[in-house]
Amino acid sequence: MLLLFIVIPLAMAALMPLVSRLWKGLPDILGTLTMAALLALSLSQIRLISAGHRILWDAAAIGLPLKAGLMLDGFSLLLLLTISLISLFACIYSINYMEHYGAKGSYYALFLLMVAGMNGLVLTVDLFNMYVFLEVAAVASYALVAFGQKHDEVEAAFKYLMLSVVATTGILLAMSFIYLMTGTMNFKELGLMVGTGMSLKLIGLCLALFLMGFGLKAAMVPFHAWLPDAHPSAPAPISAMLSGVLIKVSGIYALTRVVYDIFGLPASVSQAMIWLGVASMVIGALIALGQNDFKRMLAYSSISQIGYIVVGLGLGTPLGIMGALFHLFNHATFKSLLFLDAGATEYATGTRDLSKLGGVGHKMPITSLTTTIGTFSIAGIPPFNGFWSKLLIIVALVEANHVGVAAIAIATSILTLWYFLLMQRKAFFGKLAAGLEKVKEVPFYMALATFCLAALCLLVGLFYPWVTAKLIQPGMIALSNSIGANGFSMFGQ
Amino acid sequence: MNPNILLIPILVPIIAGVLTFILPKSVKWGKEILALIATAITMYYAAVIFKAGGEGLRLFVPWTSFGINFDLWAYHFPRFILLAAAGFEILLALYTASFMEGKNRSKEYFAYFLLTAGLANGAILANNFVVMLFFWESLLATLYGMISVGNKEAFKTATKALVISGIADFAMILGIIFAWQLSGTLTMSEIHLEPMGLGAAAFVLMGLGAMAKAGAMPFHTWIPDAAIDAPLPFMAYLPAALEKLLGIYMLGRISLEMFTIHMNSTMSIFLMTIGAVTIVLAVMMALVQKDYKKLLSFHAISQVGYMILGIGTGVPAGIVGGLFHMLNHAMYKCTLFLTGGAVEKQAGTTELKKLGGLFKLMPITGVAFWVAAFAISGVPPFNGFVSKELVFHGAVETGIMIFPIAAWIGAIFTFASFLKLGHATYFGQQSPEMPNKAPKDPGLAMTVPMLVIALGCILFGVYSKLPLKYLIQPVLEGRAILEGHAGHMEFWTFHLNWIVWVSMACLVIAFLLHKYGVKKGQGQAYLASEPIHNLPVMHTLYDWAEARVFDIYEWFVNGLLKGAAWTVFKVVDRGIDAVYERLIVFVGGVATGVLKEYHNGLYANYLAWVVGGFALLVLYLAVLVK
Repeated sequence: MLLLFIVIPLAMAALMPLVSRLWKGLPDILGTLTMAALLALSLSQIRLISAGHRILWDAAAIGLPLKAGLMLDGFSLLLLLTISLISLFACIYSINYMEHYGAKGSYYALFLLMVAGMNGLVLTVDLFNMYVFLEVAAVASYALVAFGQKHDEVEAAFKYLMLSVVATTGILLAMSFIYLMTGTMNFKELGLMVGTGMSLKLIGLCLALFLMGFGLKAAMVPFHAWLPDAHPSAPAPISAMLSGVLIKVSGIYALTRVVYDIFGLPASVSQAMIWLGVASMVIGALIALGQNDFKRMLAYSSISQIGYIVVGLGLGTPLGIMGALFHLFNHATFKSLLFLDAGATEYATGTRDLSKLGGVGHKMPITSLTTTIGTFSIAGIPPFNGFWSKLLIIVALVEANHVGVAAIAIATSILTLWYFLLMQRKAFFGKLAAGLEKVKEVPFYMALATFCLAALCLLVGLFYPWVTAKLIQPGMIALSNSIGANGFSMFGQ
Repeated sequence: MNPNILLIPILVPIIAGVLTFILPKSVKWGKEILALIATAITMYYAAVIFKAGGEGLRLFVPWTSFGINFDLWAYHFPRFILLAAAGFEILLALYTASFMEGKNRSKEYFAYFLLTAGLANGAILANNFVVMLFFWESLLATLYGMISVGNKEAFKTATKALVISGIADFAMILGIIFAWQLSGTLTMSEIHLEPMGLGAAAFVLMGLGAMAKAGAMPFHTWIPDAAIDAPLPFMAYLPAALEKLLGIYMLGRISLEMFTIHMNSTMSIFLMTIGAVTIVLAVMMALVQKDYKKLLSFHAISQVGYMILGIGTGVPAGIVGGLFHMLNHAMYKCTLFLTGGAVEKQAGTTELKKLGGLFKLMPITGVAFWVAAFAISGVPPFNGFVSKELVFHGAVETGIMIFPIAAWIGAIFTFASFLKLGHATYFGQQSPEMPNKAPKDPGLAMTVPMLVIALGCILFGVYSKLPLKYLIQPVLEGRAILEGHAGHMEFWTFHLNWIVWVSMACLVIAFLLHKYGVKKGQGQAYLASEPIHNLPVMHTLYDWAEARVFDIYEWFVNGLLKGAAWTVFKVVDRGIDAVYERLIVFVGGVATGVLKEYHNGLYANYLAWVVGGFALLVLYLAVLVK
């Protein structure tokens, strides 16, 4: 059952280059169907998981000579759902958007490979497979960033690759140290063994390596520098996947699994995560303010929003984890929405330089409306989803007596509102810029994808108690358990 | 009675608003009918909720833990505000239907109008801070939407309004967090704190948030801009009526229920100072305006000062006056903006220079205008007279004479500026520059709301006992503030004492000032304020104000934010860049040509950050921590 999450996209990825020769439209249809199937598959797990169960799969059980296993708990399910949801809309969007790139077969193959890697990463139960899947997803993403094959894109992909290598080297090094000390790679076994009779200095070094490696994958300041180059260079649906999903899976998820499940969130790591989070939050937002490139601004804003998530996870209180997980999901929805809108703007006008845009709002009503919804969501204005998750994080900070950090978080959200409104004013409102008289709304599938994501932002905000109870709370409980907080209930008594 | 009916005034307008959004354009009168039905239902249930009396209905649904519950409570104060708000909502819906007819994006405007109504009703009824903030913050989005429907410049103003309100709400959230820390509860009715230490910070921050909603200085600067850029019914709806009700209501809850403000305590002086400064500065700005709508918008700011001053006195007479003034102001200012809309629609302009002699042509509008103008100026027996006298009494009772004097100065210039506005618009010669040569009174949909509210201004003035006894006074009942004042609760009895004589003298001075100004301006009424405009120091100050020297938003935009972004970019980002660029130049001699080609400086830069960050982490995690 769990294997399907990896096998389906992997098999489809292998088929893609073949079927694209049969009929040009086939990759679009198959790609979208695969994502829809994965979404349905993950949705079907909600009932069982939210009732507090875990699903396990072991390679040995079906007679494979492998020491590998998969596990689905609340936290993994939240990520699985996020991955398949965003990939579905990115796929729908690609139907029109990728026309002018050509080579759709290879595009979908790489896309599906990335999804397979991410799905594997969130399901695996040992460090080594985590590393393998991390690399699978990463390699596919390097190729996708360079997909346009123009000079800038190749350069950005190369820079991304070179910095990721540093991250994966660090991660691999830490993993080998751990294997050296314990002789196992399994999370559960490690969780029981770590801390007993080991060099605390070496454990500290491992934690630092993990924080650096996964921090680089998640683009926390000061490990963020690759992201503003890499994310804007990719085709828009891929930017949405990278900023919306990949940095969270290979950065936040992996880091959280390691520091929570293996190390039980030591106080020092908690402190370090809060610092890293605050730095990301503030520096990301301030640099975003000065950007004139639509997608680059969004990329810096991702760094800033990742900061909120890291702060919440760093707190480690039930409410903090809850806020962070909810913000992770919400950020995936609105940031991919905004990247798709940026792509739509570029598609229609031929530029993403904000100083050359202007007044296209009434020419592109759907894009303009959905961008406004994305803006309100990311800035935390109710009733959109971003409001609730930011509120939970801020309340959690106050509860944990980090009033100063809470104040910074609120101030940053005002800053966020500010630079997004600035972007809107430059791009969509005011006088129509010269040369944009013939701009038309984007084609159907692109508009559909943005519209659905915008609706999702609103619906999640409106039905927030239901979403948190079914999706977020199981994830929070799964994580709280690993730091010893016992059966904690958010809803009812 | 089933407490679920508390949801009706919130949900009905919101649902109608959403329906309006998706209504096809071809359905004629659809949005207008929807708006009228929704506001009528709201009005009916607001009355039902008001009549329930006693402790009031309470809807309590445990929502999430952490003390966040869906909690609505219609005890006396909120249900009276709800009734008032519902009244304005229905009248404005009627007026807007006529004003926005045939305008672009009117459907969108109606949708925002209805959403605003529902959200405002929610904010009024909420009894849990999180619920209140949800509605309160959502109003930002509809505020933005409503302003943006206006002219080409409207987006700029909408952004300004959103950022200013956002900052004020930030203050409010911080205040709420402090209050929560101190009291341990988010249920608003359970918070009773002393304004000392952290409590003082909580009070000041929450108070600032509430006063900013009402439009007090220095959070006022978007209102005059909106007067020009936003559609006119917006001005009558939000800055004139609903935002005053909401802001002063919240200030009342904060300073009467959550905290107790004693006469002449630090917090009392703080509030009265904001009130007095707002009265005087805004009225001075109003006096020299030469545009109908802009002049009104500055008065919408100035009058908030009286309400804050009244509540800030900590004296029953002052508080009752402040709350009564809130209600009265919403009535006459709404009427004034509505007459402004009628003039704009019929005469085609709101510039005073191009108006004149309209009283004969638009008698109904003219009558409504003069009733409201006398009311705002505090001429007996209109409603503004009663509430202003109560505020004067309260301010005199504190014994700090600077505050009543500021209030009287405000009264002089208020009357003077309305004499100028009325004279320039309705009397004198019709200006040849008027775009529409033969204006006449607008249709019933526009005149009925004007006349109904104007009639209210007279009724609340002549029979002031009614609103004072049944609406305002119960708010104070049982509060600690009444100790020692038990015998003096008959605020409606009229005392002809020296305070009244001073107020009358103010009106006379204003009249003389106007006569003098008109004479100086060779009979041109719109120039009546020029003698004051041209006083030596005043002139410079006015020029600065015109150049937005006093606009904190402009400071914020041009100074602080850009500065901070620039500093981070130049100092942090570029600074580190420079260090590494030089390092690479230094090491560059050794590096091979191939490396140079790929290492264009930036990659090494990034890598160095990674290594630096890693070194810090190792230092912290492996070396420092045991």
